[in-house]
Amino acid sequence: MIYRISTLLFLIFSSFLTSELRIEITEGIKDPIRIAIVPIVWNLENPPRKYLHEIISSDLESFGEFESLSPKEMLSLPKTDKELFYRDWKLLDVDYLVLGSASQGEVKGEVVVNFSLFNVTRERLMKRSISTGTTFYLNALAHVISDRIYNEINGLPGIFSTKISYINKNNSSDEKYFLRVADIDGRNDSIIFSSTEPLMSPDWSSDGRRLAYVSFEEGTSRIFIQEIYTGKRKSLKLEKGINSSPNWSPSDRYLAAVLSKGDNPDIYRYDLEKDSWKQLTNHFGIDTEPDWSPDGKKIIFTSNRSGTPQIYEMTISNGKIRRKTFEGTYNARARYTPDGRSFVFVHRRDELFHIAVQSLRTAKLQILTDTRLDESPTISPNGKVIIYATKEKEKDILAGISIDGKTRFTLPTSSGGVREPNWSPLLVSTSN
Amino acid sequence: MSLFDQFLIIAAIICSFSGCAAVSMDRAVEAETVSAVSESEYSDSASQVEGTIYFEYDKYNLSASAVSDIRALANSIKSSSSKVRIEGHCDERGTREYNLALGEKRANAVSELLQVNGVSSSSITTVSYGEEKPVTYGSNESSWTKNRRAVVKVL
Repeated sequence: MIYRISTLLFLIFSSFLTSELRIEITEGIKDPIRIAIVPIVWNLENPPRKYLHEIISSDLESFGEFESLSPKEMLSLPKTDKELFYRDWKLLDVDYLVLGSASQGEVKGEVVVNFSLFNVTRERLMKRSISTGTTFYLNALAHVISDRIYNEINGLPGIFSTKISYINKNNSSDEKYFLRVADIDGRNDSIIFSSTEPLMSPDWSSDGRRLAYVSFEEGTSRIFIQEIYTGKRKSLKLEKGINSSPNWSPSDRYLAAVLSKGDNPDIYRYDLEKDSWKQLTNHFGIDTEPDWSPDGKKIIFTSNRSGTPQIYEMTISNGKIRRKTFEGTYNARARYTPDGRSFVFVHRRDELFHIAVQSLRTAKLQILTDTRLDESPTISPNGKVIIYATKEKEKDILAGISIDGKTRFTLPTSSGGVREPNWSPLLVSTSN
Repeated sequence: MSLFDQFLIIAAIICSFSGCAAVSMDRAVEAETVSAVSESEYSDSASQVEGTIYFEYDKYNLSASAVSDIRALANSIKSSSSKVRIEGHCDERGTREYNLALGEKRANAVSELLQVNGVSSSSITTVSYGEEKPVTYGSNESSWTKNRRAVVKVL
């Protein structure tokens, strides 16, 4: 598939214009939802050269849930409801159909897309919607439309307008570390920060405007917060020893993080209003890798207090800590699913590291991946997809899997080793 | 004397000097470790101020030869009045943040034994790089062995 070089839109620190991570499905579900996006009718003087229906189709197909019909296969190309004959689409086993038209908005460059989603099986109009954007930001407009279609069909937010941050390092001579952000479809890949010393653990703020990460630029680990769109950067108060593993609270007021100023790595909470640390755990073993529960009341973390790394959950208000994993001798770096009912983590079995998911209620553990050195799982904001870091032929790569384990994909890139993916929150509202 | 006995004695010596909780915790998991203990790749001779100490997988306790290497390092650091920085490192397996913590435990284990042997705490700084700065790339035991290390460098 050819990706056009797209102009960088938001990120002023960007310097690379090529698309990087491309999602390639390696194993799809057997019965994907079949959808037909009829080419959008352009009522514009100078229609853009990009095709909205192609971007929307490729969005919906990207995680394997949908299969979209190419216009070549379509028996008719209806422009309006009146020209729609369900029979034509039933013959092609299409489940859903999208018709739309784009017209000039009030402001120059503004595009207004009117589109309708039909349930072919039930011969019923499901939704009419209007999305406004600009020809310059056509990809963004297409992603919003994809999100709405996805939401209408699956009842969950679409994730096609989200982004991913990750660390990139070539194991070659230059030894430079890059913190990058890209659209989830790989476009608009840009460098947020680069250093000759290690960069680690990027984490999106809940408002999607900032990244917290660890940089060794001062010769020791230190936590930085950087505004993505302005580049404005600040560091947290430095303490002796490790300063790492930042994780934003749902309210964005606090960061959970790890400090070893008490001679052992413990979980602390940084108050961004008061610029001060508060200690949350206190144990002579290693406590690390905190993640805030979606309701902000608990923190899940890794501790070797039992002798091996295991997952624990702490209730912040009373400091009560409960062990959550009992299977195996290496369970680490848990991340809550967005519904707060499960967590995804790194689980070692037979000396291999896999991504697993465990229910908090039933404690049932399910291994999801069959790769060998898997780590850093990050979950899509709608809870459906996991992207994680792994190795392929000794190269750091990103791969993904749906949380039901049915769809697998890789994210090949031309830019050397990639690791520590972190999925942004939803960046645009998908309801309307 | 078996290797296991040597280990317990060394751990006991270190604990008695430093009262170090981290080391005593290691003893609990030592039975698991011992079968794997044998490698002693020490890159630097004892007369130098700089050196590299190697560790077992997922462990931060010091092997018998590491203890004698660190003792020798301590003597040369004291006699040359050097200031040193100890960098803790891990192999690529396991999670990055956990390895950052593990790397610090390794650096601290070396630092504590240097201090036990008379090096002033003010002439030692420690930093952990976790698995971020491997000396060699490669997902195999030979690379992993070289990467699980604490490096003592003169400032």
